Amino acid sequence: MSSDKFPPRLALDWGPVSAVDLALFAAASGDHNPLHLDAEVARDAGFDRPIVHGMLTMACTARAFTAALGAGSVRSLEARFVGVAKLGDTIRVEATLEAVEADLARYSIAARAADGRDLVTGSARVGASPLR
Amino acid sequence: MIDRALIGHVTTPTTLRIDAWRVKLFCQATGERDAVYWDEAAARAAGHRACPVPTTFLKALENEHLGAAALLALMGAPIRGVLHAGQSFEFLAPLHVGDTVEICRRVADIYDKKNGALTFVVVDTDYRSGERAVATSRQTMVLRSEVDPA
Repeated sequence: MSSDKFPPRLALDWGPVSAVDLALFAAASGDHNPLHLDAEVARDAGFDRPIVHGMLTMACTARAFTAALGAGSVRSLEARFVGVAKLGDTIRVEATLEAVEADLARYSIAARAADGRDLVTGSARVGASPLR
Repeated sequence: MIDRALIGHVTTPTTLRIDAWRVKLFCQATGERDAVYWDEAAARAAGHRACPVPTTFLKALENEHLGAAALLALMGAPIRGVLHAGQSFEFLAPLHVGDTVEICRRVADIYDKKNGALTFVVVDTDYRSGERAVATSRQTMVLRSEVDPA
């Protein structure tokens, strides 16, 4: 798939996610679930490390689009959290152009941890200019 | 077991203002470096009438209205062990710092999978600014019974 307005592939790397990143996102997002902040709570829930807020991974996913196409370019965004990112992971977001319809492009999305674990699959519709 | 009678429950709407400090904190927390979100001159130069909000920022504002923890408390379910299974947004109109947003959430569905080992809770949210619908979202949470025995 190619287009003069929309890049065929977009990518963004973020991390390694630190405890400070998770605390800062808890404060910024209002999601204070201790699963993201407390190693003992995470262990009791079956995780060897605190887990990254899904919405933090999704914010990075959105950034892959706005970094290339500008603020306000995303018209819809859909994420299925198929795996769990954990403290210390580096997250790689990749988006692939699937179709261009009128002024909007449709991308498929895959986010993975650096070791290859799938974290997010999803899709987005984006415009080359901000929503009015 | 979560009471299925909660399907259709609608929250009382609240109106929240988009404060500049909150947007800037959100940017710091998500690695956002584009100054359009906090510098008005940069925003205008890029064609925005004021500083726009980051794509998924509404979810942070929504947590002030009624977040997952408060919603689960309403259902009598503990937050411990709850995972975010899915999230989607539709953006209908632009939002800027200084705008007010009315937020209202509705429990769209509650269902089990794997013989009750997993319970999914689906919540839809409407975001309005003045008379205009600005966005909608859908959140799917999963509660695992092996973490929180009923």
